[in-house]
Amino acid sequence: MSGTSVNIWDLPVRICHWSFVILIPALWWTAEEGEMGWHMRLGIVLLGLAVFRVLWGFAGSSTARFASFVRGPATVLAYLRSMNSPRDPIVGHNPLGGWSVLALLGAMLLQTGLGLFSGDPYDGATGPLNHLVGVMTADSLTEWHESFFNVLLALVGIHLLAVLFYLAVKRDNLVHPMVTGRRAMPGEAGGMQPVPAWRFLLCLLAAALFALWLWIGAPPL
Amino acid sequence: MKLHSPLILSALALSLAACGGAPEEAADVSSAEASVIEQRQDNFEAIGDAFKAIRGQLEDGAPDFAAIAGDAETIHTNAGKIQDYFPEGTGIDSGADTEALATIWEDPEGFAGAAEDLIAASQTLVDAAGTEDLAAVQQAVDGLGGSCKACHDDFRLDKD
Ligand code: HEC
Repeated sequence: MSGTSVNIWDLPVRICHWSFVILIPALWWTAEEGEMGWHMRLGIVLLGLAVFRVLWGFAGSSTARFASFVRGPATVLAYLRSMNSPRDPIVGHNPLGGWSVLALLGAMLLQTGLGLFSGDPYDGATGPLNHLVGVMTADSLTEWHESFFNVLLALVGIHLLAVLFYLAVKRDNLVHPMVTGRRAMPGEAGGMQPVPAWRFLLCLLAAALFALWLWIGAPPL
Repeated sequence: MKLHSPLILSALALSLAACGGAPEEAADVSSAEASVIEQRQDNFEAIGDAFKAIRGQLEDGAPDFAAIAGDAETIHTNAGKIQDYFPEGTGIDSGADTEALATIWEDPEGFAGAAEDLIAASQTLVDAAGTEDLAAVQQAVDGLGGSCKACHDDFRLDKD
């Protein structure tokens, strides 16, 4: 493609994305192997990153912001209808992909949130907030934690199929920009608007402190 | 434009592999041993469920003492079977999917004693539930929980 190469994804977005790619299979594996110590450590990291990504969705660079990519159903439908007509690539998430981001983030937050309460003190490991709920509640949440993984997996599957569809049918490689942060845009199209680094540090600090607070059992502040 | 399909394909393969389900049993564990392991885990699972139900009752303002007695009875019955489920060669060293530590066979008296403690503690709870004395039931439940923990600490793998 001719045109100029512009930035479309900032580094925090890419680090979050690829961390999720590594952490989700690792969490599945550690659970399957009963390595609950590692499962919980990796789980709290995933939760912290997802929380960071939500904060970054309000304070981050233009393409990271929810306001820039969460669109109403009419826009999504219009986007789907025009799928066959040629059009310029979008700087950021397309109207459908925006919902995929929300669904995946929401599912990861719910799944890690359930994990916080899971387990039983007389049967191996317990999540850091297990003591805050009764045994029977913890039992149900544990079952939800086990079955909801399949929902998360289905969402990941849809996401991968969509990326594959863009690659094979639309001849549009979405993976490469998610690695390098850049993609070629026709004409004079501008890239994303970055934000100063202190915002990143502030969001990171807030997310890390929140995850740490959960990890130590959410003591009263 | 450069394509990165290997990356996508490997991501897809990874996610498909993740759907693959349970890991296979190690090859050198015979099916008889695997089935004994499964039976004992089911037995512990039932003990675990009954103990959960008992603790759930106590979190309620008004526990159902008859239900507690019934669950304690279940634990008592299953506790009596524990020792039958630990033939030689079904420990963690066999490569099987088990958390049974080698100490079970290295210290058979200790393990038998821990199983006896559970039998006794569950009987204590059956009796306490019969009296419908909440303080006595609570004390018996704590004692029962202590016997689970004591055995798990010494004889069950802890991967925290
Ligand atoms: C005599 C020792 C002993 C006592 C007492 C004991 N356990 Fe266990 N428990 C074990 C061992 C050993 C395992 C691991 C079995 C295996 O993985 O093959 C186990 C496993 C379990 C499991 C997991 C079963 C599975 O699905 O793999 C649960 C749940 C459990 N115990 C609950 C309890 C509770 C609740 C109590 C007390 C009411 C208790 N145990 C008392 C030795 C004991």
